[in-house]
Amino acid sequence: MPPSPEEKTLVKSPQTIIGAAHLRKSYGSRLAVDDVSFEVKAGEVVGLLGPNGAGKTTTLSILATLIDPDAGQVQIAGIDSRVAPYTLRRKLGFVPQSIALYPSLSAYQNLETLARIHGLTRRESENRSLEALESVGLRDRADDPVFTLSGGMKRRLNLACGLVHRPAALLLDEPTVGVDPQSREGIFSTIRTAADSGVAILYSTHYMEEVERMCDRALLIDEGKVLADGTIAQLIELGGHHPRMEMVFKKSPLMGWYEDIQGVVELAPTDDEAKLVLELTSLRQVSEVLEHAHSAHGQLLEFAVHSPNLSDAFITLTGHGLRDTTTQDQ
Amino acid sequence: MLALAPLVIITVAGFSLGNIYGVRPGSEPFYLVVVNDDRGWLAGAIIDALGRDHAVSVVSAANLGDARAFIRRQDRAPLCIVIPPDTTTSFETGSDIHLIVYIDPVKRLEAAAIELDLDRLCRVVTSRAHELARKRMTEQATQLRDQLIAASDRMKAVVAQLDQLRRQFEHARVTAQSELTAQTRQTIERMRAEITVQINQSVAQSKAAVEHDLAERREALVFVVSYLEHLQASQRDFESWLIKLKAAAGSHANQIPPPPEWPAPPGKAPLAELSRPIDFPLPHIDVASPIALSDTYRLPRLPELPDFPSIPDFNATFSQTAVALPGIVGWQERSITGGNVTVNAFDQYVPGFGITFLLIDMFWGVGVGLIDERDWGTLARLHVSGASASGLMLGKLTARFLIGLSQMILLFGAGRLFFGISLGHNSWALLFPAAAISFAAAAFSLVIACIANTRDAVLPIGAMTALVMSATGGCWWPLDFEPYWMRAAALGMPTTWTMLAFNNLMIRGLDPSSVAMPAVVTSAIGVSVLAIGILGSSRIYRRAAQ
Repeated sequence: MPPSPEEKTLVKSPQTIIGAAHLRKSYGSRLAVDDVSFEVKAGEVVGLLGPNGAGKTTTLSILATLIDPDAGQVQIAGIDSRVAPYTLRRKLGFVPQSIALYPSLSAYQNLETLARIHGLTRRESENRSLEALESVGLRDRADDPVFTLSGGMKRRLNLACGLVHRPAALLLDEPTVGVDPQSREGIFSTIRTAADSGVAILYSTHYMEEVERMCDRALLIDEGKVLADGTIAQLIELGGHHPRMEMVFKKSPLMGWYEDIQGVVELAPTDDEAKLVLELTSLRQVSEVLEHAHSAHGQLLEFAVHSPNLSDAFITLTGHGLRDTTTQDQ
Repeated sequence: MLALAPLVIITVAGFSLGNIYGVRPGSEPFYLVVVNDDRGWLAGAIIDALGRDHAVSVVSAANLGDARAFIRRQDRAPLCIVIPPDTTTSFETGSDIHLIVYIDPVKRLEAAAIELDLDRLCRVVTSRAHELARKRMTEQATQLRDQLIAASDRMKAVVAQLDQLRRQFEHARVTAQSELTAQTRQTIERMRAEITVQINQSVAQSKAAVEHDLAERREALVFVVSYLEHLQASQRDFESWLIKLKAAAGSHANQIPPPPEWPAPPGKAPLAELSRPIDFPLPHIDVASPIALSDTYRLPRLPELPDFPSIPDFNATFSQTAVALPGIVGWQERSITGGNVTVNAFDQYVPGFGITFLLIDMFWGVGVGLIDERDWGTLARLHVSGASASGLMLGKLTARFLIGLSQMILLFGAGRLFFGISLGHNSWALLFPAAAISFAAAAFSLVIACIANTRDAVLPIGAMTALVMSATGGCWWPLDFEPYWMRAAALGMPTTWTMLAFNNLMIRGLDPSSVAMPAVVTSAIGVSVLAIGILGSSRIYRRAAQ
């Protein structure tokens, strides 16, 4: 179906590389993706968050043109997936969650083969493959068969395969699953370098700290719908959480010692009389709380301050119920 | 699914190999092509006998070329019988005769069944002919014995007459000998007398001639003697004169006159007469005319030959009623296609099992390979690469096709090396069916990959498909083992056409043009299946994305 005049205006900014508008996809009676719209600009890293079965992988598959949406529109670098899917794919890098490599081929051969399939010349393929290997720190393992590489190396090579043809947009599906910290850092570095070079990156993951660290923005989807779309701070704020302060006293202060401090309330009273958990309105109240405790003759043994994060917001927005009853993330 | 595969194979094998246990491949009779170059009564009898067999339907062909064309055209025509010229005549005169059986080596089983009947027929014909001949020979022997007894009696009479004749000839010989001796003596005496007279006469004549000759010479000699005596007298006169002269002359000796003249010597004629050879005539004896031997010898008359009894004319008797023991009716087997009559079993099994394992390798290789790629995620990655799905599939199938073709080439090389298989007269032509089946197998493998969702499904579906295609397509046993309905069903299988092409080249020894149609049909099946596979390949991608 040709795009409508309204849909042609999907790319709102000249810098928008990944554009999704009103995506809808159902499997039988179950709606996997429901009216999902977002965009990713050049050089932007956008996290795609959601519990299992939320619709992350379906959304990525639609963007990667692996499956067709029931409705909605996808544009990559201004190319509509329904008008020129093959041209669109040339602009796209896709790093699936599984390690999509040929085990018996060498690292170099995997890259070179993919580069040729992407339409690069032999010389370009050779150069880009070596560059990609260099970028993920596998230059010295170029000729080793993939099955001899460690899990972390395979993950890095997997990422390199998505970048070897220098795409305008990169779709990452759980790129750091099962890797050691060193490899994770290497992957982060590569992603950041790609983003700095202008690649629009959509980063699907369960790891909140990765999103907090790597992404400029994040999309939180659940049950096929976009629950939130904004910067990390905006999402945390959207979660409605405040800083918490846990205190353990050697000698408890006088009763009601914190009631004069504005907005500070006790959270979840514990059986341990020596332990107290307070909710603050902001981190600036920490010193005030400590002064009040001292004034009330309390002898503080230790304390800890917990700042609200994306994980808190995620749990708050998506609920505490288990989501792994389905075998596959949709 | 794996439990279903052996059931299918057992069904196919049971129907196919029923022939081995005596089940005919169909209710319709075989076509038996006969070329009658003899046109004698024996050929007619053989054809009639063959026609009475309900298992065969006799078809007459004008010549071997027509027969060959019919056999190649007709699936149920396994062989042709040629009855050579003069078969009947040779058979009657006691020569062993051989019908020539041209078989299609690929239809060996059906040919063997007919040859069994033909063998039985040959024995019956030979036995019947020998029985008739023995009966006639017994009758003729009785007749001959009577004739021989009569001849014996006559011979005895002849011997008696000959003995009497011998004695007469002995008597005549003795008489002739004595008469000849007497006549010879008389002739010799007469000849001696006549010769003596002639010699005497001749000697007398010669003597007279010599004496006449001597008389003439004596006259010449007298003249010479006279001259010599006169010469001697003159010499003495001269000597005395000279003495007188000298004395008289004194000082005037110089004035002495010349001496007197000497007598003239005898002339040439007397001397020639003396030197002439004496002509001594030889006596002339003519002994021929007086002795006429033919008139001299008179032989006695020989005794007259008696009238011998007549000898029976056995030659006439036998030429009119001669009975020879007929020869033996047999048959020789030849290939009607130009290939070897005796087929190397590996000519069937090397290509057959080569195709089977090509199919298995291809079905499993492509199916499992695609499932592996789906599981690895590389299929999705390839899809996102921008290459077309059909292009990627065709690329993968092309690689598999080349591997399959190489596998077939290696297998044929090994078959040639280890089992001595025939590669036909044009081994390069084997590439066409090998390429066609590799292509068709690749196409089928794509369809199987579309059908099978998991590795566990690919293996049984692929194995069962490969085994059924191989079994019904004549890869494990000659196609003519199978019943006709199964052969008809097998025409939809690329294996059937490929085996037909391999059989044409390797067993039948036909030229490369014989593989054109099978290779084209195999490729056409492959193209059709490939189109279905390409359409279904989107299903593989859908699974890859899920």
